[in-house]
Amino acid sequence: MINLEIDGKRVEVENGRTVIEAAHQLGIYIPHFCYHKKLSIAANCRMCLVQVEKAPKPLPACATPVAEGMKVFTASEQAIKAQKGVMEFLLINHPLDCPICDQGGECELQDLAVGYGGSASRYQEEKRIVLPKDIGPLVAAEEMSRCINCTRCVRFGVEIGGMMELGQAFRGEHAEIMSFVSDTVDSELSGNMIDLCPVGALTSKPFRYTARTWELSRRKSISPHDSLGSNLVVQVKDNRVMRVLPLENEEINECWLSDKDRFSYEGLNSNQRLTKPMIKQGGKWQEVEWQVALEYAANGLRQISQGAGAEHIGALATPHSTVEELYLLQKLVRGLGSSNVDFRLRQSDFSADGKQTGAPWLGMPVAEINTCDRFLIVGSFLRKDHPLLASRVRQAVKKGAQANVLHAADDDLLMPVANKMIVSPAEMTAQLAQVLKALATIKQATLDASVQQVVQSVTPSAAAQAMANSLASGERVAILLGNFAQQHPQAAQLHLLAQHIAALCGGKFGFLGEAANSVGGYLAQAVPGAQGLNAAAMLAAPRKAYLLLNVEAELDTADALQAMNAMRKADMVVVLSAYKHHAAEYADVLLPITPFTETSGTFINTEGRVQSFKGVVKPLGEARPAWKVLRVLGNLLNVAGFEHDSSEAVRGEALQGVDVAGKLNNALRGLNAQAAASTPAGLQRVADVPIYFSDAIVRRSAPLQATRDAVQPSAYMHSTALGKLGMKSGEIIMVGQGQGSARLKIVADDTLPQGVVRVAAGHAATAALGAMFGIVTVERA
Amino acid sequence: MEKITNFFKSFLLLELLKGMALTGRHFFARKITVQFPEEKTPQGFRFRGLHALRRYENGQERCIGCKLCEAVCPALAIHIETEERDDGTRRTTRYDIDLVKCIFCGLCEESCPVDAIVETRVFEYHGEKRGDLYYTKPMLLAMGDKHEEQIAKDRAADAKYR
Repeated sequence: MINLEIDGKRVEVENGRTVIEAAHQLGIYIPHFCYHKKLSIAANCRMCLVQVEKAPKPLPACATPVAEGMKVFTASEQAIKAQKGVMEFLLINHPLDCPICDQGGECELQDLAVGYGGSASRYQEEKRIVLPKDIGPLVAAEEMSRCINCTRCVRFGVEIGGMMELGQAFRGEHAEIMSFVSDTVDSELSGNMIDLCPVGALTSKPFRYTARTWELSRRKSISPHDSLGSNLVVQVKDNRVMRVLPLENEEINECWLSDKDRFSYEGLNSNQRLTKPMIKQGGKWQEVEWQVALEYAANGLRQISQGAGAEHIGALATPHSTVEELYLLQKLVRGLGSSNVDFRLRQSDFSADGKQTGAPWLGMPVAEINTCDRFLIVGSFLRKDHPLLASRVRQAVKKGAQANVLHAADDDLLMPVANKMIVSPAEMTAQLAQVLKALATIKQATLDASVQQVVQSVTPSAAAQAMANSLASGERVAILLGNFAQQHPQAAQLHLLAQHIAALCGGKFGFLGEAANSVGGYLAQAVPGAQGLNAAAMLAAPRKAYLLLNVEAELDTADALQAMNAMRKADMVVVLSAYKHHAAEYADVLLPITPFTETSGTFINTEGRVQSFKGVVKPLGEARPAWKVLRVLGNLLNVAGFEHDSSEAVRGEALQGVDVAGKLNNALRGLNAQAAASTPAGLQRVADVPIYFSDAIVRRSAPLQATRDAVQPSAYMHSTALGKLGMKSGEIIMVGQGQGSARLKIVADDTLPQGVVRVAAGHAATAALGAMFGIVTVERA
Repeated sequence: MEKITNFFKSFLLLELLKGMALTGRHFFARKITVQFPEEKTPQGFRFRGLHALRRYENGQERCIGCKLCEAVCPALAIHIETEERDDGTRRTTRYDIDLVKCIFCGLCEESCPVDAIVETRVFEYHGEKRGDLYYTKPMLLAMGDKHEEQIAKDRAADAKYR
């Protein structure tokens, strides 16, 4: 520890800290632009110059390490003169366009110019002009003359985003921030550059010129997209969401936000919003009053439960629904006498059901990811499915952790990967068993009987051996199963093997949850239990009636074709949705519900953190919060226990006395590993859910849909396999799966293993195909 | 003694004569009554009357939608909505002043960085319904177009004091 004195106040800080950090510890503010607590030190803005005793010249506080007995003066005559001088230099080339600048009102340069600058400029010469640049649909770089070259955006790209997409070119007065040869900024975290930019050089394109910062009211909310549960500040004007900013929470999203969370709000007021209840009569849709629609739905459900039997009713919800919605949905269905309720729509293997000891979760707090030194990431499109968790893994790797990856696709994680095994989906369990065997040999441990059989049948490859060595040498190991592993047809096997690997290396084992409420769904009991049918079974054996909560059957399910067949066969489909969508074809009633901004609710994120939020704007049109709709449906169907008058009451009932932390458990009991079936003949499908097609809101966000991540999906194959078929990259081909087929462009991708075709799910272009896993054919169109 | 003085004062109608003298002085003095509306009072170049939105000489509207006037307005009489115009500039899609709320303090004019919103010398206007005094952007621009000459002259006269 080092003792020093700042402005006469004594402070004790760790060795290696800088003066600016010591000052912040004392609560003394030192003006700065380029310094940011999460980024490396650049010391190029010079705004933080302070006077240090015995130093002949002022020193930058952000880059000066503390020293014993140091005396720092932040407001001495020399310091003030230096700050004033720096400010005058910064303003020389800064345009005087604050009145039209979107940053105006929240601009660090504006604030510091008032606080530390002179009252007038002495500069009479011409100002420099930097030409505007188009760097994509999210970040506007239209007024680069405003840039003060602090390089925060550049450092963010390199250090947090993992990819240098913006850089500083040229020198001196000609220095400017630009992307590589008119390339766009495509990082899934690019929106953070807008927050980081201390001036108005990088601003939000969708928000451009729509409001001034002082007009917006700030309301807290929780992200409904990925399983991290990022804390949001939703900014509202005239009952409309104008933009979304991060709410700093060091334990979850730090000060960052993924683009998905930040720009999805543009989908909230999409013209596809459903604003009036509708019923289909004689094949035609009619707008009706709530009372009529609800009674119609209730009657339909009542008739089926009394006629065919309640087991012919199935309820499906997305994991993006709140705890309250999921709880009332399952209560309603169970009240009718059916246990067919599920929220795990993209899961295809349910053999772990009944053998789980709790709700699958991350297995550790989110913040602990940064401290791990070995990772085994199984089946995850990590960057696209969990942008901020990927960033945390990246930070850990930067500090020396080793990342090991077992997956069916080799997407660039933008971090060094120590060992990777990229194999076809069918081979994944065998590969994981090899790692387990190699690890057991290293640790000289005898394996549990449940996995003995599988492990004996495999011989570890060199890659599995290397991976086992890496895991065995770690002190804080994390085994993480991604969305792909959870959707895998042998998900339970992967789960079991991963559990044993984690046990052998004494590490943490967890699931990177698929969506905002992947844990909450279990705690709200929106799972079928022993009596009911799970999501896959409900669609495989079509029910007579379906209750869909937020679900777009062809996009949100594991097998689009099967789901659509089931919907078409049903007598009664009640759709609770915020949007008009394909349900118009198969549904009988459309009940308009509200997205997360217009309702109160609770999400339980992947680390088991219960986060409730309030509605930030009024519901659009006649849409109503889904918990209210379900509550009234419960009343109309005479189901007992539907007297809640607030979402808090529903939450209270759902989570009352539930020890959330105690309910989280990844362990499987009583499941035996089975030797993997031989690799099936034919091309296996590898299906990712593209980042901007993962839920109803992002699908309708125009700026996100304009990004490179949202282009029309193609089919990808290894070029050798493509050559064998006699096709060329870029050709339009026909991908067939079962009875379905889709015309797609085929693109060679040599990072894919042989024998697989990568075709995204969750997109209209591929919705005619079947299951996310399985055998597909590729033919000339 | 006082009683006697008062007796003589009231007896000689002294108070009355004093009053008559005042009336008499004004009877012959120069008249200052202005016969409105046939005659007008003189106005200063800083007169704060009805608002107007100005244009540049090339016809381009001045307002850039910075909303400083909206923010400064103590009566919350201004309502502005903006968007990015096709040429990439920041422009208003809506600029309303509710004259029923307006207190004619002139702060909007003072806050405007481009001299777009100004108060003209026009004070003779009326509305027959409440809504008539809700001035929208086209009405304000029309005011500006009509009185631009006078507005420009007044700004020029005031320039040296700003």
